[in-house]
Amino acid sequence: MIYILVAILIILVFWIISVYNFFVSTKTRVGAAIQEIGNQLKRQFELIPNLESSAKGYLIHEKGIFDELTNARKAISSAMNSGDLKKMTDAGKMLSDLLPKIQVVVEDNPEIKASEVVKNLMDELRDTSDKVMYARRLLIDLTADYNVKMVSFPSNVIAGIFRFEKLKGLETPVDGDELKVGKEEMETPKINL
Amino acid sequence: MRNIYEVQKSNKIKSAVVVALFVVFVALATYVLAKAMSIYFGYEPGQLGFVGVALIVSGISSFVGYYFSDQIVLGISGARPADRKKDFLFYTVAENLSIGVGIPVPKLYVIADSAPNAFATGRDPVHAAVCATSGLLEKLNRTELEGVVAHEITHVRNYDTRLMSVVSVMVGLIALLGDWLLRATWFGGRRNNNDRDSGSSIFLVLGIIFAILSPIIGQLIQLAISRRREFFADAGSVELTRQPSGLISALTKISADSEPLEVANKATAHLYICSPFKAKGRGSASWFANLFNTHPPIAERIKILKGMA
Repeated sequence: MIYILVAILIILVFWIISVYNFFVSTKTRVGAAIQEIGNQLKRQFELIPNLESSAKGYLIHEKGIFDELTNARKAISSAMNSGDLKKMTDAGKMLSDLLPKIQVVVEDNPEIKASEVVKNLMDELRDTSDKVMYARRLLIDLTADYNVKMVSFPSNVIAGIFRFEKLKGLETPVDGDELKVGKEEMETPKINL
Repeated sequence: MRNIYEVQKSNKIKSAVVVALFVVFVALATYVLAKAMSIYFGYEPGQLGFVGVALIVSGISSFVGYYFSDQIVLGISGARPADRKKDFLFYTVAENLSIGVGIPVPKLYVIADSAPNAFATGRDPVHAAVCATSGLLEKLNRTELEGVVAHEITHVRNYDTRLMSVVSVMVGLIALLGDWLLRATWFGGRRNNNDRDSGSSIFLVLGIIFAILSPIIGQLIQLAISRRREFFADAGSVELTRQPSGLISALTKISADSEPLEVANKATAHLYICSPFKAKGRGSASWFANLFNTHPPIAERIKILKGMA
């Protein structure tokens, strides 16, 4: 009888240790994931001037695109300096928004479309915004793992004992206009061909 | 319709059930075979000796394959390391997905073969390698390639190479034991009839039945585990990319290609994204034919993926 009790106690202790370690290690990995976002933004920041100079000859008439590239670069730099996670994610978005615009320019100009340099520019732009996106994905997934363990039984007991707190992860609005669907958005878009 | 989290959960449970079944079966088969052997040779302590020798023989052969799995890839004719410039999509997609799961980027190789396929190997995420054929890289666009590489990275992340190596050591163990028992009884061997009671002759008969059947049963369970891990990797791919459409269209393209992969062999077949042997009817295979496949039918995989969309 006493042996069974001891065995149960040992299993319990090991379980508590593993749950505790899950919480602290995930928390550390979340910190690393935030740094990874910053790291990828820095890469993006350094990449833009290279792309600009290589593609300038081909997109010489599209000054707007270069202005936006420069703006994106400025936004990234100020976001990195502030170290604010929300600003950092917003800055990453500017570049991915730029991609469809370049696509339009390229589709309109067959001679640009054929150019290896412009194709390269678009590949690199997509790649760098994907990298930032996946860095955010890691942060989101880790935070979700952590927060699910936080609220589900029985690991929530351990979280309560050691006073672990919920992680915020990527900050997105939970109420307000962003989450409402307006009347215009409900309508099927009409396309005139 | 089940969402990705429910699919992941049921995958985990099913996979655990199959592996548990396998462990129970291996233990039972080993016990019966060892017992039958010791009775047959009339040498009691011999039972563990046989198991030990069989485990060592089967273990060494699989361990070499397991431990050097990433280097063996290099030995495959024509495998060359991927280059960022030449294989831009493959290289960067693998880089990005590794950021997404938080593992180091696996070593990337390209095999010059026009049959579109890809596989992952390596004993742990640090020593992992992902290999794609040049046919795959030519035929898929970025979104599709992302689905395929995410499938392979999920294999890496779940330690599937390790699991399948352990499983094949166990199947090899049973096969060896069964083989020895059958050979010994076939050629007559040493007989001492004087101390044989009815209990031990039952064990001997049982042992011979097990010797004949268990290698097949073991392999069937091994294949069942392999198919489970494929579903697992498909779900993991969707979890990473959140775009089932990419993997669906990649699987459709790959299965539409009828060329068999020349460098594939039975030992590595379970690692590929789609079965490298295309001889059997695809999609509509009967459940019986399916029992002998390393991969679930593509139609079924696509159906499940569509449910997640």
